[in-house]
Amino acid sequence: MLSAKVASMYCIETENLSHQFASGKNILDNITLQVPSGSIYGFLGPNGAGKTTTLRLILGLLKKQSGRISIFGQTFEKNRVGILRKLGSLIETPSLYGHLTAAENLLLLQKIYQCPKTRIPEVLELVGLSDTAHKKVSQFSLGMKQRLSIAVALLNQPELLILDEPTNGLDPNGIIEMRELFKRLNQEQGITILISSHLLGEIEKLVSHVGIIHKGQLLFEGTLQDLIQKQQESSSLKLSTNDNARALQVLQSIYPEAQQQNGKLALPPLANAEIAAVNRQLLQHGLEVYHLAIEQNDLESIFMELVKN
Amino acid sequence: MKTKRSAAFWLVLLGGFFTPAILCLIYMVYIEKLAPAYSEPKFWIKWYLNGWESMAYLLLPMGIVLATSLIAQLEYKNNAWKQVLTTPQSLSTVFVAKYTVVLFMMFQLFVLFTIGMYFAGALPAWYYGHVPYPKGPFPWQRIVQMSTSFYITSLPILALQYFLSVYFKNFMVSLGAGILMVTAAITALSWRYVYLVPYSYGGVHFMQLQGRMRFKSNVLDIHYLALIYFAGFTLLAYLLYLTKKEKG
Repeated sequence: MLSAKVASMYCIETENLSHQFASGKNILDNITLQVPSGSIYGFLGPNGAGKTTTLRLILGLLKKQSGRISIFGQTFEKNRVGILRKLGSLIETPSLYGHLTAAENLLLLQKIYQCPKTRIPEVLELVGLSDTAHKKVSQFSLGMKQRLSIAVALLNQPELLILDEPTNGLDPNGIIEMRELFKRLNQEQGITILISSHLLGEIEKLVSHVGIIHKGQLLFEGTLQDLIQKQQESSSLKLSTNDNARALQVLQSIYPEAQQQNGKLALPPLANAEIAAVNRQLLQHGLEVYHLAIEQNDLESIFMELVKN
Repeated sequence: MKTKRSAAFWLVLLGGFFTPAILCLIYMVYIEKLAPAYSEPKFWIKWYLNGWESMAYLLLPMGIVLATSLIAQLEYKNNAWKQVLTTPQSLSTVFVAKYTVVLFMMFQLFVLFTIGMYFAGALPAWYYGHVPYPKGPFPWQRIVQMSTSFYITSLPILALQYFLSVYFKNFMVSLGAGILMVTAAITALSWRYVYLVPYSYGGVHFMQLQGRMRFKSNVLDIHYLALIYFAGFTLLAYLLYLTKKEKG
């Protein structure tokens, strides 16, 4: 059991969360997540990794089988209504009534949340839908529905936003706009955001923390800095010559860890002086150097590597 | 508010006026039979029962089957259960709120039907000079009493159909089961133990009012049986809804 002090640091915590489908297939395997208060937490994983199942369990949309979920330091089952009052969410596809207008959809929820009516034009403005407030949702494009769903999630001025792939269906401009909106909400209002995606590139400019899930297992959890550190650790000096086999022999006499990778030679990252020395060595052995550079894996390849391993 | 402009809303509106409109049309066509019919002292009661003939056996049960399915489909079709169930309301509140909407819509249907029957009955007398306006005041009290009785007999169908519609995402389950049960109920009207089939209570009550019911329940009046079934189905629906593994 986590102490109350530790728990208060985290907006969401799950402990050994496991879930099985009726067929017996394991969907989640002991997921222990810790989403720090005030963070933007990117929950990453390929399609079918278990992201949505985790988020549905956190929101109580799926019956929990084993493990523990705590939000705002409180157990979800015991404080469901109080927790949901401070939370906004968007899970998978938009949940909107097609026969009602955008404003009517918001009005329905405004009555439930009992928040001021002025929030309706405010959130429509935030997501750029002010001009379409009185248009029926059935006439909206997927991108507009997604924007309205984000407006719905923001209506009650939540302390925590849980967004499952919120940029689905948005055009590139819309993605940038929403990213800026989430950043602003986080920085100006201190809203904690848990956002899932299957593309690291899409959210790496937004998140402060990252959790990577694959096949129901949490492979990595930490700050974006931790992930970048991992990226730097996995960088290498790559080179190619007119005779890579001979060059490898030369290099291995100095750096035994030198190896051939995808038609190039790879060495651990070296200081500038050492790089120059490598170049001299190769030239002294009559080799022509065509390429010599430090290559860093981008975050996406780190993510792919984690998932592959 | 959710039902505004929805298919369920139109169903109730059109369903309430459908039978009165058809009956009015028939009466307007057979002009020669109008004068004697309108001179009868119990015209309004007979007229009202005329309306219930098609409603009690088929139209009302089918209307309930369709309306409950459409109400639940408002959430399923729009993927809205997950939105509803992540609002700060207890699961019981959500269940009761939706159930109340269905019960209220059925009440609206009864009110519209009664208003429709009044105007459909009065229209020929207003339109044709030779047709006398029915004598005596409109028997509101008796009509309300009869409507309440029919409302009670329709409650078991409403409860079971509400459960099926909310529990099963595929509306074909509730619709298919409903159509099957309504058909079986009509067949069961000539069965000795028809009192065991809650979907037939509207038809049974109508036959009782007409003095045509051959069988009699040895245990309880049909209205008590209807209320017991209603309570049982409601409890079942509530418990299964609370324990459902996947809620949204």
